Amino acid sequence: MLRQVRSLVPFLAGLGLLAGCRFADPEATTTWLFDPATPIAEAVRQNFWYTASLVAPFLILAEALLIYVIFRFRARPERKPASFHENVKLEIFWTLVPAVTLVMIAVPSFQLLRQITHVPADTELEVQVFGHQFFWRYEYPEYGITLSDEPLVLPANKKVALSFSSVDVIHSWWVPAFGFKQDANPGRVATRWVQVKPGYYKGQCAELCGALHGVMWIEVVALPEEAFRQWVLARKRGEAPSIEELRAMLPNPAIAHQEG
Amino acid sequence: MAQTIQQPMTFYSRWPKPLAVIADWLTTTDHKKIGIMYLVYSLLMAIVGGAMAGMIRTQLAVPDNTFLRPELYNEILTLHGTIMIFFVAMPALAGFGNYLVPILIGARDMAFPRLNAFSFWLLVPSGILMLASLFVEGGAAAAGWTSYTPLASKQYMATPGVDMWIFSLHLAGLSSILGAVNFIVTTLNMRAPGMRMMEMPLFVWAWFVTATLILVAIPVLSGALTMLLTDRLLGTNFFKISEGGDPLLWQHLFWFFGHPEVYIVILPSFGIISHVLAAFAHKRIFGYPGMVIAIAAIGIVGYLVWAHHMFTTGLSTLSLLLFSAFSMVIAIPTGVKVWSWLATVWGGTIRFTTPMKFALGFVALFILGGMGGIFLANVPLDLSLHDTYFVVGHFHYVFAGGTVVALLAATYFWFPKMTGRFLSEKLGTWVFWLFFLGVLLSFMVMHFLGILGMPRRVYTYRPEFTTLNQLVTAGYGLQLIAGLLLLFDILRTLLRKPARPLPPDPWGVNEVQKTLDWVTASPPPPYNFERTPTPDQWRHAPSAEVAR
Repeated sequence: MLRQVRSLVPFLAGLGLLAGCRFADPEATTTWLFDPATPIAEAVRQNFWYTASLVAPFLILAEALLIYVIFRFRARPERKPASFHENVKLEIFWTLVPAVTLVMIAVPSFQLLRQITHVPADTELEVQVFGHQFFWRYEYPEYGITLSDEPLVLPANKKVALSFSSVDVIHSWWVPAFGFKQDANPGRVATRWVQVKPGYYKGQCAELCGALHGVMWIEVVALPEEAFRQWVLARKRGEAPSIEELRAMLPNPAIAHQEG
Repeated sequence: MAQTIQQPMTFYSRWPKPLAVIADWLTTTDHKKIGIMYLVYSLLMAIVGGAMAGMIRTQLAVPDNTFLRPELYNEILTLHGTIMIFFVAMPALAGFGNYLVPILIGARDMAFPRLNAFSFWLLVPSGILMLASLFVEGGAAAAGWTSYTPLASKQYMATPGVDMWIFSLHLAGLSSILGAVNFIVTTLNMRAPGMRMMEMPLFVWAWFVTATLILVAIPVLSGALTMLLTDRLLGTNFFKISEGGDPLLWQHLFWFFGHPEVYIVILPSFGIISHVLAAFAHKRIFGYPGMVIAIAAIGIVGYLVWAHHMFTTGLSTLSLLLFSAFSMVIAIPTGVKVWSWLATVWGGTIRFTTPMKFALGFVALFILGGMGGIFLANVPLDLSLHDTYFVVGHFHYVFAGGTVVALLAATYFWFPKMTGRFLSEKLGTWVFWLFFLGVLLSFMVMHFLGILGMPRRVYTYRPEFTTLNQLVTAGYGLQLIAGLLLLFDILRTLLRKPARPLPPDPWGVNEVQKTLDWVTASPPPPYNFERTPTPDQWRHAPSAEVAR
């Protein structure tokens, strides 16, 4: 059994390596955990590691005790089982310590939550996001621009309010690098905000919405101020730059999603 | 012992043997036979649900696979979830509950034997309706086991498969409600004279709390299903926005049932694990009162957390805070259980029988599953992890690594009691390691996929997720082999005549455990006990209580 447990070590190491392979792929989806693109995603990333650092000791302690028990207390002819079956102090201890830890997780979590749900007053643009079976439509009321089944184009480093709704079933708008997802409910409007680093981001619908839910992709290009103004003008002239043209407008298209 | 109690005369007593046996099973009100029928039913459905998991993993073995049409993929994932929860996990736990609860409390049968038979037989049309819905024109329900409206409304899913899904769950729900009434009354009224509530074995406590959960939660599901059904068939407007209805109402009602449902399938598993760990560590359960309080606390707080399935819907910040806080609170009693299990085996003399391997494997996997829950209860993290493979990995650790592993422990543990024969320890070791490693692999990798950006319920994925998805599929392969080996072993063991009858306590665990299942014969005679059990048969000697 010892050997069988030891065999898990290379197994887990292999998993880590495979997850690592993903970073070799420049076109891979960028995520909140490894390449956060908004202040919220950055805060969520920090909160993840903070939570993990509080949870991990319990995980390691519990699994380590379990493994220790398995090897230490194996039945042998000369050993007699212990007869204890209660220890109130110990029980109070292992009720209170996790409780205190949970408070330590909850307090920063709740503070961050307010930051996420509270849309700041100084947003510079509003984009309305509508879910359709099976594509997204984006409306820019300020410019009179409508993007249907096209990449969303945002001004980089500017606070933008995104409002989410749906014209048919429930969808969920999710770009992992932005650090949140928001359901697009028919008959309701929910507002969130982003402030995106320049770059190209991928995501997809995250709420089962019918047959083609799995290919209801999202693409976002966050253009620097000047490029964004150019795009608005081009769009008003009736031009529709392709995703390649949009990405070419990024400061460093090859590693655009890693740019700060 | 078995011969001393006369089988009652029945209308089929003079029929030829095979016919009489069939008639006996079809008409029985014996809780043990009904329990076994629940278990066989669950096993058959597990083959169907497991095959569906296989279809899903085949489809996802490579991106852009055309093995399943997108529509069919959604039908299969819907039925996989529905079947595994309502027709595998719940009947299996009800099966062990039916078989064991009356025996463990020293009763002759359940309080309402006929109602008990009715509960089981309701599941037969229910299951048939569910499976038949795959073959109607338009296909089965395809909105996931959660069937969110408007996707599940007539407008977007016209197929009668959805109506069949609703009717099927109505029948299964009625079965569960009647079963729950039976368990509650049995536990309260049928205990052997002198058995106090706080002397009941933990499996009985777990089922008692579970039954109260079922009694409150399932009627809410039935109500919501009825509203969905009348919206679909009669033109009511409970969930129609254009008519003033609200799709979020469905989510609140569904999860008001759906979250307690999680505890409905995990609490009896907790009970099973407590029995097996204590038995093979040769020790008494550590902190019995704490364990009972923890079960009850999980049951109660379990009602206050439903909206943690809805963090991304746009709830008010205050709701988010409260539901997040209550969800985190659940971790405390759950932790009490884990620490108490560790303290139970601590200092014992552990025998690594197959049920013990599964019980220890349960603890290992349940800790992992539970820790994932903390991340999901933390709203800012959930906004990124919700509806991704992280969630799928999390709840499979708790369902497959938790409930199913506990059910396997129970199967190996009580098989000698139910049939008078042991399953193979040698094959059992294989079944354990294959299943344990398969679960560990598949669902661990799913957590990574979720973090890296793969949403759930998708029939294809971006090419960067290929390797990880193939690892999940490989883990499924390990679980599949384990399942087939178990099936083979069960059939082989049942077809072979036992060499000699087993003693009442075939594992030799009752000296310390002191539960009544090891007092009666293996298998127990009709009505379980020749004489009503007496307190000395279940009460621990007071001397053991001072020895600390």
